[in-house]
This record gives sequence, structure tokens and C-alpha cells, in this order.
Amino acid sequence: MIRLGRLLCGVLVFGLISSLGRAETLPSKPGRYFNDYAGIVDPSTVNRLNETLAQFERDTSTQILVAIYRTMQSESSVADYTQRVAQTWGVGQKGRNNGAVLFVFLENRQMFIQTGYGLEGALPDAICFDITHNVIAPRFKTGDYAGGLEAGVKAMMQAVRGEYKGSGRTNAEGKETGPGLPFGIVLLVFLLIIIVMSRLQRKTRRGYGYSGWGGPYIGGFGGGSGGGWSSGSSSGSFSSFSGGGGSFGGGGAGSSW
Amino acid sequence: MKKFAFGCGGILLVVTFIAVVLAIMVMGKYNTLVKLDQSVNQSWAQVQNVYQRRADLIPNLVNTVQGAANFEKSTLIAVTQARASVGRVQINPNQAPTSAEQLQQFQAAQGELGNALSRLLVVAERYPELKANANFQQLQAQLEGTENRISVERGNFNQAVQAYNTAVRSFPTVIFAGMLGFSPKPFFNAQPGAEKAPTVNFDFGNSSPGPAVPSPAGTP
Repeated sequence: MIRLGRLLCGVLVFGLISSLGRAETLPSKPGRYFNDYAGIVDPSTVNRLNETLAQFERDTSTQILVAIYRTMQSESSVADYTQRVAQTWGVGQKGRNNGAVLFVFLENRQMFIQTGYGLEGALPDAICFDITHNVIAPRFKTGDYAGGLEAGVKAMMQAVRGEYKGSGRTNAEGKETGPGLPFGIVLLVFLLIIIVMSRLQRKTRRGYGYSGWGGPYIGGFGGGSGGGWSSGSSSGSFSSFSGGGGSFGGGGAGSSW
Repeated sequence: MKKFAFGCGGILLVVTFIAVVLAIMVMGKYNTLVKLDQSVNQSWAQVQNVYQRRADLIPNLVNTVQGAANFEKSTLIAVTQARASVGRVQINPNQAPTSAEQLQQFQAAQGELGNALSRLLVVAERYPELKANANFQQLQAQLEGTENRISVERGNFNQAVQAYNTAVRSFPTVIFAGMLGFSPKPFFNAQPGAEKAPTVNFDFGNSSPGPAVPSPAGTP
């Protein structure tokens, strides 16, 4: 009985501690490689760097992310907070742990590069510090955010390149079936077409009767699903990011500007 | 007579059945405990790893700092001594400590080293020559990263111990866990002094226009 009581007490205390620890808000998983939530980089640069980083994952399987926020939603230190965020996002491939995230908190004037376990060799703290302090910070000081981030991303890729081999696809591409459309949307479109078709059929049935219906029905459906949709999804959209489940051990460095 | 024999056999059968079920249950729990015990040991190895990493940085740091003119000798001596006392507390790196005192000792020695190091970094702030030294800046970044790693691995270790202890102490495992040699393990607790020390803010990119503490060493 005493043991049971102690156990309950322990569970209660543990629950309390873990709920206290989650008082801050961890940002939700980003959908892209280059995420400018503060709106300081022009869209064309965002697009370009996003594609560069997606291509980098295809080539090397290494996931490098950039996340720019207005403020840091935590009382904790940048290093501690960003470690937990990167760990929750699962950046990098499982087993290889080859992820790195460059965090920027605009109003705090702080940035930090978190490196996954698997990149601690290629991107040691001293290099991370060199990148943030000597490559990015000087440009940020003059207000050149896009230039600083571009140079920083390039420097990170240069340090990491050659460490791991890629599979030619990103995680997001590997998961999807078909030409890059989520299954749900395909299903929805399919249902819509069936509904529209059956209505059309009902309308025309009154006038013309049954004859000759098989042909146009199949033809219309096939054209709609095959040609139109796949080409629409591949042009002009972002390469999306999907975390592989990599782990972070607190490596990396940052600086303020 | 025959009826009695049958009854006896029936009871025997039931008892055997219960025994087999119990044995299977215990086996399952035992395997779980072994797995959790392994994960505690694994995270302990990681803890030792990152502490070792910090200790390995110290000779280089001391050498670099010594090069700075008139660097306060007392802080350097404190770091070297703390480093030596850390070396004296030996715990098997492949097996998590089983006694609370053992862990306490380890934690105290490491905490002292952490304090000495952060004091050194604070003092170093007063030496512009040192602050501008690229080698020192790198060492500082490495040291900072190591402190972050230490806090992460300590957190992971505590989580692993938490899971293990919960399994050991919960019913019905608690009945036989002790007999099989599984006892609750100690974990790190936050030390007010040692915990705060490493998070000292040493942002040198953010050089304030006003002069900080005037250098006591006197510029030659």
C-alpha cells in the first residue's frame, strides 16, 4: 500500500515536472528547407535557397534547414531551446543523424547552428562559430539578411559535402506515390469527377438515352487525371521538407549580431 | 481412493499451469528490465563521453590563456586543480553508477570543474588581447558546445533512469526485481551552483560600446 502510494506520488511529480518543462511553445515542424517566418528575405531568394537545400538532400541525404523567427518563444538559452526544437523536428536521416538547422531570432539578434550527432565531425562547434560569427553576422549587421543567409548556407554545405552519400531523392519525395500528389487529393479529385459525370449522365439521359456513353466518360476522366494534374503540381511549387528522425546532442554554436 | 487421486492430479495440473504462466510473465518482465538497464548504461557512456570531451579541451585552453600577458594565475590554477580532481573520481564508463554517493561524488567533482571554467571565461572577458585571439574564440565555442552536450546527455540519462526505475518499482515487477538483481538507480539532480555556472553569457559578437570592467592587470 505504501509502495503504491509512493508510486502514485512519483507519477504525479513526474507528470508535474514534464508539464512544467513544456510551458514554452516549440514551433511546429516546418514544411520547407528554407523557412522565413519573419519575412526578411525576398521570395525569389527563399525559393532558390529552398531548392538548393532540397537538391543537397538528394545529393548527400544530409538535411540542412534554415528557420527564421521574429522572437524566441522561450525563457531558456538559445542553445538549449534550439536543441530541443531540432530534436523534435527530427532533422536528418535516422541512424545517420545528419541534420543541421540554422536558427535565427531576429528581435533577439541571435542565431544558432544546431548540428546532429552525425555532423559533429564535419561541422564542429568551431566551424559553426566561424560561420555565424565571421560569415553571417557581419552581413546581418549591415542589414543584408538575404546575403548573410545565402553565404551561411553555402558555407554549411561546403563543410558537410562529401560526408554522406545521397539517394537522389528527398525524404518527402520518397514517401509520396506517383507524380508528387498526395493520395488524399487524388481521391478527392476522383470523387469529384465521378459526381460531375453522374450528374451530366443523368441530365443527358433524359434527352438522348443510353447510347454511346461509355466513350466520352472514360476519355474525359483519363485526360483529367493523367495530364493536367501532374504537370500542375511540379511547376512553380516548393520542394517540401520531411524529417528523417535524426537526433541532436547539443552540438553547434551561435553568435549574436 | 480413485477419486482422491484424481483430485490430487487436478490440483497438480492447476498448480503447474499457474507456475508456467508466472514463469512466462517473469521472463517477459525480466527481458524488459534488461533492455531498460542497457539503455541506462548506454546513456551513461554518453555522459562520460561528453565530460571527457570537456576535460580534453582544458590543456589547450590553459595553454592559450597562459599566452595572454599577465593572466590571473589563480583562476588557471583552480581550473588545473579541478581537472585533476575530476580525474581522480573514477567510475566505470560502461556501467551506470548504482549508489547515490558515487554519482554525487562524480557530480561534485564535475561541478567544481564547471565552476572553475566559467570563472576563467569571465576573467578572460577582461583581456581584450585574449578576446580577439581567434584560437581562444574557437576554444570558447567548443567549450560552450561541450557544456550544451553535457546538459543534453545528462537529460537523456535521467530519462533512461526514470524509465528503468519506474519499471523496477511498479507492480508486479517490484516483487521479483530485487531477487533478479535489479535495484533502482540514482540520477543527476540539479545543483544550484554547478548547473547555473556554464550558462554564463559570453557573446563577444555583441561588443558593447561602454568599456566593461577595467583591466586589473594593467596594460603594459
